[in-house]
Amino acid sequence: MHLLSIREMETADLRRLLDLSDEMKSRWLSGTGLPSLRGKVVGMMFMENSTRTRVSFEQAARRLELDTTTFGVLGSSMSKGESLKDTVLTLMHEGIDALVMRHHASGAPYLAARCFHGPVINAGDGMHEHPTQALADAMTIREHKHRLEGLKVVIVGDVLHSRVARSNVWLLSRMGADVHLVGPRTLMPRFPGKFPATMHYDLAPALDGADVVMALRLQRERMGEGLISSLGEYASMYQINQRTMGYAKEDCLVMHPGPMNRGLEFDDRVPDSAHSVIHEQVENGIYVKMAVFAWALGADMPVMESIV
Amino acid sequence: MKIVLKNGLILDPSQNLEQIGSVLIVDDQIAQVGGEVEESDADEVYNCEGMWITPGLVDLHVHLREPGFAHKETILTGTQAAAAGGFTTVCCMPNTNPPLDDPALIDFILDKSASPEAGGVFVQPIGALTKGMKGERPSDLASLKRAGICAASDDAFPVQNAHVMLRCLEICRQLDLPVAVHCEDLSLTQGGSINDGAVSELLGVTGMPRAGEDIMVARNCMLSLEIGCPLHILHVSTWGAVEIIKQAKYLGAPVTCEVCPHHFSLTDEDMPPFDPNWKMNPPLRTKVDVDIILQAIKDGTIDCISTDHAPHATYEKDAPLDEAPFGIVGLETAVGVTLTYLTHRGILSPLETIRMLSTRPAEVFRLDAGTLKPGRTPIAQVTVIDPEVEWTFDVTKTFSKGRNSPYDGRRLKGKTMLTFSGGNVYTDALFSRERHSIGV
Repeated sequence: MHLLSIREMETADLRRLLDLSDEMKSRWLSGTGLPSLRGKVVGMMFMENSTRTRVSFEQAARRLELDTTTFGVLGSSMSKGESLKDTVLTLMHEGIDALVMRHHASGAPYLAARCFHGPVINAGDGMHEHPTQALADAMTIREHKHRLEGLKVVIVGDVLHSRVARSNVWLLSRMGADVHLVGPRTLMPRFPGKFPATMHYDLAPALDGADVVMALRLQRERMGEGLISSLGEYASMYQINQRTMGYAKEDCLVMHPGPMNRGLEFDDRVPDSAHSVIHEQVENGIYVKMAVFAWALGADMPVMESIV
Repeated sequence: MKIVLKNGLILDPSQNLEQIGSVLIVDDQIAQVGGEVEESDADEVYNCEGMWITPGLVDLHVHLREPGFAHKETILTGTQAAAAGGFTTVCCMPNTNPPLDDPALIDFILDKSASPEAGGVFVQPIGALTKGMKGERPSDLASLKRAGICAASDDAFPVQNAHVMLRCLEICRQLDLPVAVHCEDLSLTQGGSINDGAVSELLGVTGMPRAGEDIMVARNCMLSLEIGCPLHILHVSTWGAVEIIKQAKYLGAPVTCEVCPHHFSLTDEDMPPFDPNWKMNPPLRTKVDVDIILQAIKDGTIDCISTDHAPHATYEKDAPLDEAPFGIVGLETAVGVTLTYLTHRGILSPLETIRMLSTRPAEVFRLDAGTLKPGRTPIAQVTVIDPEVEWTFDVTKTFSKGRNSPYDGRRLKGKTMLTFSGGNVYTDALFSRERHSIGV
């Protein structure tokens, strides 16, 4: 089974992946019976710079005794002009069982899925989706709030270019959360009609009564593209800080998919405050990827179904 | 050599003719249209009962890719695809390598297309509007016209500078040479792959705003009005462009326009996620655009249908969406798609359908085509279409080298059965043998 996008997945599968992630976590922490995927090999194609996602996938694989082979565009035959399709076909005939793909182009994993025999796992494609990040986020929220249904989740920042937002709106809304998106008009979808979320352009009303606030990374290139006038201007309007956290609920969680810019998306304090679950997101990312490997490669195991 | 096309519905918009009858071709010239034809001394008789007999179809917008890109298409494969689609005249775009900005290259196209293997289809080259299609200085347009171009265009590389366009239009007005324009403000569309809208937002793909087309249509229409130069707007895809063209025509600008079958039959919502065979420029738009385009086809704002046949090698299209080249093949689906989506849905009558596929495009570029009147075309150009046959398009069984079509696997109603041109006959596999008798 492929994991290409959250949007196209069945809600039942999403729920199962979240439950499986919880199960992986409790088994890992208690040291009891993790499934083994020994003998299988995962090809990790990272066609875009990534440290955290790559390490996280490698860690997840290691814990399930999966072998991995990792490569990027440099040092692969793609730097010799081979097409993505031919690279994927070559890997297939070299006995790779599953592919994890990070790519700078939206939809590149779909191309791989059309020609690869085994599961293709999207590890972030262009501006499209980042399914495992969203799963880790949902898992983290669930751990703290014990539910997703009815929670007001606010995603703040460069929604337009964010694959994290494009996965999270689908996952969180399918799980019953009330998703709100906020950012400057230049960094928000201009045709949001299909997103199951409420659009805002001012931070205060968006944050009003929020249970979770998720800040997105603002890439500095957006200034050069004229999408924001200056970093200071952006921070003055959309920064999550001690003052703006006042709009949210007292026990509001603060999240960030990383890497974060302190002083831009956040002030100095908020990321280290009691609200912040940023490091848990990173840790849970590993359990989610373990669950995805087990699900995709058929090392299934009994899971206590959550009531969430 | 005497060929009889027997008992079809003769549709010739050039003489508003719509009647059941036969057409007689003697020595590659049309000898008689309509009425009873003596068939006892005929060399070949084609029974066209239930079919349309029409002037050979005319496509103002194809990419034959030679010189320079023979791996995508050649004049030979492209003209074979044209014949299979019912087209006897095609106008080829100059975005080749080198671009068609030199009379010697026009000679090359004309020579190659006149070769016996080329299916007898008439190829009318369109010259580059600016040197090297760089949008800076006009080409040697008078020399190109003498060499035989039917129009001038920078199709794939639209002239961005309005003053350059103004000078080109002045030159072409003097030469009475139609200018064909792909209308796109690149500053708005750069980096885009599909329509800028709900679908592009969903997929996280950079979009191409409709305004990028509308703005350039408006600019070019106003320049045409100012200069009085005939202007042909290529592949209209937005509701805004339609409204602007309507207004420009009302104001008296010598403007014509075309629409491609995909722009009246498909929308961005129909695209399977990230499928590069659905990527073309201008992109598939939305239902609102399609609805307005259908109205404009009906009310005559849109003059003709062309394919923008743009073949690419499969390995070029097998890429992530934003890296794949723009363009789809269209010659072999145009009749099926047009009949399925326009004629059978009552948007166009059979006669108006053929007007938009043959007579009107011939008028737009002043070509000796688009009519069954004896002696009005250099050689008999006749197409026979079965409007009722239902078939499934299989892109792997086409004459074109390109396999890039969004219609692969689609059921269509209506197909070209016979194409007579330049002494050649294309006979479709679905045309039954019993209908064809030799030497009666």
